Amino acid sequence: MNSIMNTSEDGTDQKRCCTFLIENTCFAVEADCVTEVLQRGVINNVPLASPAISGLLNLRGRIVPAIDLRIFLEFPPAPHTIKHISLIVDISNEWYCFLVDKLLDVKTYAPHQVSPPTNNSSSVLTGVLPDSDQLIHFLSPEKILKNLLDIRTESLSVG
Amino acid sequence: MADNEEFISEFLIEASENLDQLDQDLVALEKNPHDPNRLASIFRTIHTIKGTCGFFGFTKLSNLSHHGEHLLGLLRDGKFTFNEQLASLLLELVDAIRTFLSSIESTGKEGDAAFPDLCQKLDAACLSTDTPSVHETAERTAASTASTNQSNQPDNQIVSAPLAEPVASTTPNDLPEADNSTSGVSSDILSRPESTRSGNTFDSTIRVDVQLLDTIVDLVGELVLARNQLRTTATDEPALLDAVNRIHTVTGELQEVAMKTRMAPIDQLFNKFPRIVRDVASACDKKVNLHIDGSDTELDRTLIEKIRDPLTHLIRNAIDHGIESKDMRSVTGKPALGEISLRAFQESGQVTIEVSDDGAGISVDAVRKKAVEKGLVTDDVASAMSDERIFQFIFEPGFSTANAVTDISGRGVGMDVVRTNIESIGGTIDISSQRGIGTVVRVRIPLTLAIIPALIISSGGERLAIPQPYIQELVALRKNGTSHMIDGLEGAPVLRLRDRLIPVVYLDRWLGLRNWEKRPTSGTVVVVKVDNHEFGLVVDAVTTSENQHSHATETTGLWFIVVKAISSLLAPMGIYSGATVMGDGSVVLILDLRGITMAADIPALTRRAGDLQSTSEEPQDVVQESSRYLVCETHNGHRVAVPLNQVQRLENFLQSEIDATADSCFVKRNGELTQLIDPDRVLHTSEELEKETVGLSLVGIILPNELGNKALAVRRIIDVETGHGQLEKTAMKSGLLGTLLVGGSATEVMDVVAVSQWSEENPLL
Repeated sequence: MNSIMNTSEDGTDQKRCCTFLIENTCFAVEADCVTEVLQRGVINNVPLASPAISGLLNLRGRIVPAIDLRIFLEFPPAPHTIKHISLIVDISNEWYCFLVDKLLDVKTYAPHQVSPPTNNSSSVLTGVLPDSDQLIHFLSPEKILKNLLDIRTESLSVG
Repeated sequence: MADNEEFISEFLIEASENLDQLDQDLVALEKNPHDPNRLASIFRTIHTIKGTCGFFGFTKLSNLSHHGEHLLGLLRDGKFTFNEQLASLLLELVDAIRTFLSSIESTGKEGDAAFPDLCQKLDAACLSTDTPSVHETAERTAASTASTNQSNQPDNQIVSAPLAEPVASTTPNDLPEADNSTSGVSSDILSRPESTRSGNTFDSTIRVDVQLLDTIVDLVGELVLARNQLRTTATDEPALLDAVNRIHTVTGELQEVAMKTRMAPIDQLFNKFPRIVRDVASACDKKVNLHIDGSDTELDRTLIEKIRDPLTHLIRNAIDHGIESKDMRSVTGKPALGEISLRAFQESGQVTIEVSDDGAGISVDAVRKKAVEKGLVTDDVASAMSDERIFQFIFEPGFSTANAVTDISGRGVGMDVVRTNIESIGGTIDISSQRGIGTVVRVRIPLTLAIIPALIISSGGERLAIPQPYIQELVALRKNGTSHMIDGLEGAPVLRLRDRLIPVVYLDRWLGLRNWEKRPTSGTVVVVKVDNHEFGLVVDAVTTSENQHSHATETTGLWFIVVKAISSLLAPMGIYSGATVMGDGSVVLILDLRGITMAADIPALTRRAGDLQSTSEEPQDVVQESSRYLVCETHNGHRVAVPLNQVQRLENFLQSEIDATADSCFVKRNGELTQLIDPDRVLHTSEELEKETVGLSLVGIILPNELGNKALAVRRIIDVETGHGQLEKTAMKSGLLGTLLVGGSATEVMDVVAVSQWSEENPLL
């Protein structure tokens, strides 16, 4: 993967991010943690796992947990017409699969243009960047993971 | 500097391997002090370490090795004869070098320890001309420095402490002086070519990162899946089909080879034990000979590391508590040299490692008494338990305490940790022992952690894997449910299995897989046992392999599945221990039965089932209305029934396998003799045993262990049937419980306990 940190002509730091849509809202994660994108991918259910963990994906023999960002971000469940896209994300050498509605683009941006989130309720949101006609919401994969680890045991009492 | 680091890490790996070899060489040399090859090999190793250290600027280590090298040089030149004290001293040197190496590995520096007393001891050994005085001189010089050095070299103190004392006690063991021929030979040794050294495998092996090997195994697994997809799509073009078939074969072989890369001979672990045995034995003031067998047995390399501590503990135990003191051995007429044997072999997909000693053995009665005392089991139950079951109590946490019976004192310390360690890698452990003869501890571990036998089941549309070691049996649930009733008990269903009530968990409901109303009425109960908790998992069906090209191989419904770790996101749930990829590429979760036992609170369910059982009518009566019987035909064509709960297992054997001794008939199974009882003789249906033709096969109904090694010999098994109605005690023959309607016809029911007693009074001719 190319170097993420570039310096533009005017001397400011440039970074790249991977943007995608969930329920017509634009989100982004830093491009350097995305290792690959899958169009299709069979996800096997994990009974009793927290709802945001939609299952396990077999990626070339590696078993990767799939996190449905739609459910995690508390959007309504996806209509059947939407075929999810799998973003494989590397978080400290463990792979995770983020399910999103649609992949948009890899954009170059200047970190100083990202403003801290206006709404502080969701800690996984690290910043907002105004783009041409929309807002890009930056997500932190590490914080998403930590959030899930904190709530992982809640559904164990079923039985 | 970066280059240097690479060289240093290479040096560390090589040096630590050489030190392991040194341990073995020194112990071997002690037994055979005139082996010039070994002496030269030891000298070379220390010399190399010294040289390399000097090169990297590790002056303290270089200095220490120099002192050792000097002494070894004198030894090699035949100035002294190698003896026990020198062995201890040189082993101490090896440990000191290890301390340096681990310090270099972790910090990149030599560390503060300089071992001046060890240097002095080594020098003192060089100066003294006659060996017996070496020790004294060394002690004196060591004593003068010990007090000042104690604080900054704890490692050395710990290691050398157990060595010092026994050395003093065995000093008088003078060995004959080396004859001149030895020195003549040894001086040429360094000039010999390398190839004469045994076990030189430098040319044919390379070091590979284990992670890299695992990646290869993973990728090959993926290749297998791709191949399977290819096979299902390419069918028309003959040329293509040909190529696909070749890919099929090659991939299969590739997978096998890739799996083999994970394997390593257990020798890597076993060769550490001669040194340990020597140290422990001399610390206990015992003479012990270690016999190693099967060190070429291969095992997953990750497992080898994991059984190191448990095995070390078992060996220590065997020396410390198993082998008697010298005096005791002479009293009981045993040779002074105790024997410990370490044996490894492969058996049905598992590796068995036996640690046996010829020591005092463990008293079953003492363990039984202790178990009852500690409230682990009631007196009645304990007295009916087999010896093997009783010995299992040794693995209970804190079983052996200070006030334990002397026969077993200390035996149980840490044994619970040993069992926990072994079980954590899917292994089992058991003990057998005979008073005065010795003890055998048998550890069985899977060949590899990566591949385990498992049952694939389906429940509520999901497929899940249950590891085979936990599975006791499978019970089919029929629609009308007459055979194995599941009684609803305030939401706690139980399975009536023979004479027991076992709590069951509906897996689909427990995992929230489907609507309770939609579940099918038939299914299978997988009876599993975790520790002492037995419970049933109700599943829809057991899946058998759909095609032979799949990732797993089918053998009697069992799959060999490749275990993969599940993410840290799911592991803390505690109900899945891993996952596997099936032939079609889908992921199947492996159930963590230990976790499920906790999560579903099986112990509480078991108690409730127990309460229910005790309130049910006449639980003591073996012959209940709903009891099941094994119906069989005797040699004379007589139809008899044996209560199924009195049958341990069935075995086929040939007439020719029977050994008839003067007063009994025996058949040998697994190294044990089983006494055969002919039901016809018991029931007096024939006065003389017919001489059958050789080659005729028989079925042995093996009786419960409590009755001893006994089996009923019958011609054939008819079926397992349910008995109906009341047992009629009309036929008052000894050995019969009575007559009962079994499987639609009146059948005589054997009284197994009475038959067993009868056989002791009337052995077969």
